[in-house]
Amino acid sequence: MSDDNETIRKSVGTPAVFAEVYDRHAPAVFRYAIGRVGHSHADDIMSETFLVAFNRRASFDLSVVDARPWLFGIATTLIRKHARVEARAWKGLVADGAAAVPFDAIAAVGTRIDAEIAVKEIAAALRKMPARDRDALLLYAWSDLDYAGVAEALGIPMGTVRSRLNRARHTLRRASHRASRPEQEVDHGRTDVVAETA
Amino acid sequence: MDELTLLQRLHENKTPTQESLTRGRAALFSQINNPGPAPRSVKSRRRVGGLSALVAFGIAGALVATNIVGLGGWRGGADSAAAAVLERAATAAISFQDPQVSAGQYLLVESENVHVTDGQEQDGPVIAYTISESSDLYVPADRDGEWVWQRNPISVVDVLTPGGEAMVARSHPTSGPAAEPMLLAAAGGAFYGISVDSQWGDFDSMPRDPYRLLNHIYLTTLGAGSSPDGEALVFIADTLRQGTAPADLRAALLRAAAMIPGVTITDDQATLDGTTGTAIGRLEGVNGMRDEIIIDPDTGTLIGERTVATSAIPESSIGAGDVWSWSSVTTSVVDSAPTGGTSSGESE
Repeated sequence: MSDDNETIRKSVGTPAVFAEVYDRHAPAVFRYAIGRVGHSHADDIMSETFLVAFNRRASFDLSVVDARPWLFGIATTLIRKHARVEARAWKGLVADGAAAVPFDAIAAVGTRIDAEIAVKEIAAALRKMPARDRDALLLYAWSDLDYAGVAEALGIPMGTVRSRLNRARHTLRRASHRASRPEQEVDHGRTDVVAETA
Repeated sequence: MDELTLLQRLHENKTPTQESLTRGRAALFSQINNPGPAPRSVKSRRRVGGLSALVAFGIAGALVATNIVGLGGWRGGADSAAAAVLERAATAAISFQDPQVSAGQYLLVESENVHVTDGQEQDGPVIAYTISESSDLYVPADRDGEWVWQRNPISVVDVLTPGGEAMVARSHPTSGPAAEPMLLAAAGGAFYGISVDSQWGDFDSMPRDPYRLLNHIYLTTLGAGSSPDGEALVFIADTLRQGTAPADLRAALLRAAAMIPGVTITDDQATLDGTTGTAIGRLEGVNGMRDEIIIDPDTGTLIGERTVATSAIPESSIGAGDVWSWSSVTTSVVDSAPTGGTSSGESE
């Protein structure tokens, strides 16, 4: 099997070859999309991602071997257009996720009630997070891309990925702490980026 | 277990069904065999299953049922001064004639969005700066005809973190591909292969009765944003901002805004991009930001929107009361649109 860049190069002259890229990566794009927009829209995001990718294949950077960051970047752009659907999907995350919190996670946070509260707080934190931080966080958590891959997907420098991830993780951490220590007053101000990235 | 691992564990490790893989492959081959404007994506059948769907249906069902009682209308509304301005604007909007777009002409919607962002280079400090994103949307008289959308390159407006100029200049070069505008063209406005209704809103299905419209908005935005009332105002601003909503819908949206609790006049002399109007907004306690729409009460026209920081954000060099982002929109009728665009903005 040839590398992605080789396949995409061939597909410029022989378009049907592009189906190989689909066969290779469609399931991974679907897995990423399902977390963000739920079952009912993940099929559409998967399909649309490859239509856009096919139309843009001539602009793919052939020096990059792995096409996944490029594909996940397209999928992320498409998901942004479904922001309202995404918000509803997190309602589902609260309902489904709370029931499916793995055993060791329950052990970590104490009881199932605590785990359910933690999931609820995380879903709420995701919903309120700035879109650029959420994109970086969910690409990193759910698409198996590393920092460089996320940077490539979002078209931003790696240092920016790091600062966005720091900020997003700080927000999540604060949310899960809020859940586990409800008696504590939690500061609702913004993340101290300087401290986080120091 | 840290928060990231918990998030990863929550993610369902599902694979697509063979049916959906086959459908996606067929859509791709249809595109491969029929190059040109991207076809509309293959819509999957909406499946029903799992606890989340049941819960969603439960909430949605309750809200549909409450369309008789309604979330909107009985919990109070905007304060009286804001309600009066919105009513005046709505009356003006309905009597204000939309520009007539004749066959062959286009409605040109010019929009600009300026907002704070940040960047960081390897091991360097986080640099906050302000960028401007603008675009020109050409909507043909026949809405099924070819829409054209010119998305202009990002330009840097201001560097907020002292000493950050060099990093910002490296991130946003003023030459090369990133500095070129992107030109899209698609029949019926289906840019990127996505139907116009999901991008710009299905105006026909939105009620013109303000009370029903507000409940429609609460239902549509269920679960999004920092509060249902705040998100309803955001929805109204989003819809007005597109610039393509018809006059009767614009009037209904302004009257719906007057029914949202907590909505108030935040600035009666707000200037945006050189035009002055009345700013109407709602303080969201959660994130320290206040979203506002700025309207011209005499014509009912939306001048723009802005988000104001209600507390200081030192890491972005933003003080309390500073504008975090603003956007403006203007519409006009033009005789021609740029040519040569593609459905995804890349050469084919």
